[in-house]
Amino acid sequence: MAKFKETAMRIVFLLAACVSIACVVLICVYLLGNGIPTIGEIGLDNFFGKTWKPSKDLYGIFPFIIGSIYVTAGAIVVGVPIGLLCAIYMAYFCPKGLYRVLSPAVRLMAGIPSIIYGFFGLMVIVPVIQKLTGTSGKGLLTASLLLGIMILPTIIGTAEPAIRAVPRSYYEGSLALGATHERSTFSAVVPAAKSGVMSGVILGVGRAIGETMAVIMIAGNQTRMPGGLLDGLRTMTSNIVLEMGYSTGLHRRALIATGVVLFVFILIINTCFSLMKRRDS
Amino acid sequence: MNIYKKFAALALAGVMAVGLFVGCSGNYGSETTKDTTASTTAPAAGTTAPEASTSAPSEVAQPAGTLDAPITVVSREEGSGTRGAFVELMGVKTDDGDMTTDDAEIANSTSLVQSTVAGNVNAIGYISLGSYDPSAVKALTVDGVEPTVENIKAGSYAVSRPFVICYKEENLTDLGKDFVTFIMSADGQQILTDNGYIAVNDAAESYTVSGLSGSLSLNGSTSVGPVMEKLAEAYMGLNSGVVIDIQQTGSGTGITSTIDGSCEIGMSSRELKDEEVAEGLTPVVIAMDGIAVIVNLENPANGLTSDQIRAVYTGEITNWVELG
Repeated sequence: MAKFKETAMRIVFLLAACVSIACVVLICVYLLGNGIPTIGEIGLDNFFGKTWKPSKDLYGIFPFIIGSIYVTAGAIVVGVPIGLLCAIYMAYFCPKGLYRVLSPAVRLMAGIPSIIYGFFGLMVIVPVIQKLTGTSGKGLLTASLLLGIMILPTIIGTAEPAIRAVPRSYYEGSLALGATHERSTFSAVVPAAKSGVMSGVILGVGRAIGETMAVIMIAGNQTRMPGGLLDGLRTMTSNIVLEMGYSTGLHRRALIATGVVLFVFILIINTCFSLMKRRDS
Repeated sequence: MNIYKKFAALALAGVMAVGLFVGCSGNYGSETTKDTTASTTAPAAGTTAPEASTSAPSEVAQPAGTLDAPITVVSREEGSGTRGAFVELMGVKTDDGDMTTDDAEIANSTSLVQSTVAGNVNAIGYISLGSYDPSAVKALTVDGVEPTVENIKAGSYAVSRPFVICYKEENLTDLGKDFVTFIMSADGQQILTDNGYIAVNDAAESYTVSGLSGSLSLNGSTSVGPVMEKLAEAYMGLNSGVVIDIQQTGSGTGITSTIDGSCEIGMSSRELKDEEVAEGLTPVVIAMDGIAVIVNLENPANGLTSDQIRAVYTGEITNWVELG
């Protein structure tokens, strides 16, 4: 009987493990199976061209790829310095009392649904940018600011434990050599936590590139090439969501193919992440 | 040392609090606008539309002067029924296809168009007349004609489109038939009128309760959806044994799923294409809907010609000054 229970439970656990793998495999098969023939049908030239006009059978997603990259880069410029400094502060400078507030606040940030962030962007950031620049207020700058805020919890959540995990002896050794508290933290501890911090940044990049609902509300969603910091743009994710409801035929399959490109980007990011992890251990 | 840090932290918290306060109070106006946008229901907006469009200009009367600012063009996404009807009626769509300027901002719902325009003095957009909220945005006259139910009925307001339901004759159950009868009856048409749409069957007879039961599935346009919910509610009130399931996924999807049989009746906010009718669908026009061209309440413009609207949406005119 005990033997039977043992085997039964082993199978249950195996099945649970298989579900997640099966999901990944199914998504891969579905995406690639639908997407790659579509890219072939549309033609590489057309698919990576600069014009998206489904009504004229032009499915160039190049502006959206650039859009995704710009927005992600903008989010990194805004989010990484703030996130990194916040993580260092929380690990080495923060008084206990403040930590008790700061730490749950950061975790709460991670739990706020992205549509709420989008609404916040639409109601607060967009009017401010509108007033400051005289443009419509929707565009790369706004999206970068908002995404920069959105990736903070991801970066802090990974970087702070990494900084804390650096052996105390590094810090103490630096102090013993005569360095100040600040200098020891920034020159001895943080460099030692480099790979953990980089993992945080890469996860943040993954979050930024995959973000959809918030970006749709504040990026303007124009289909042309983004020309400047204040220009509106469309990312790959928003392109899929915007047009999925109404599309049919080749148009719909072109959106799935956009998903394939996005998937490749995420794969690259995840590979970077695991390489970083491997070097760590 | 510690005291300085505490002081710095307090100062930072203070700055954040002040910033939050300033940020929120600065946007108080637009937030309330947004609230009314969300809470005003279609019937109220629809029935008040005629008076409001005449009174709105006088409330914000700035007779002299136009804006000297670039126009923020707000459009819907490719494939939207509203966009399809708008570009066709305004001549934005030529033989070369939909020529909407690449600089147009794209919003993926009626309410997002309305709140974008409500929050941007320089913006212009278009929405279904039934969803038009005069307290949030201002509807322009087109060629001097106000977007009212009377004008659309009379045919003088140029930007209107049909609401269509479609079904496959052989897939339609008795219940489906009866629901279509209900929509086209005086009672159904009255519900459409109450919601700000224009009835197509003025001489309709009143509906007699059939007492049928069962379930019925509808799928399609997000413009037709809200009023279809109301129709279904009324119908289910009359025939207690009926369950009607309405999915709002967009005209294109609704039509496709009616063709492949995954729903019984499709809803579309544009006329059916010939190839769709060729698939065996029977289209029924249940009402007409106007498309209101909207601008911000603070925008001094009151009307445009359809040619000007076309030029704005194709990107030939990019500044309010050029519109006089």
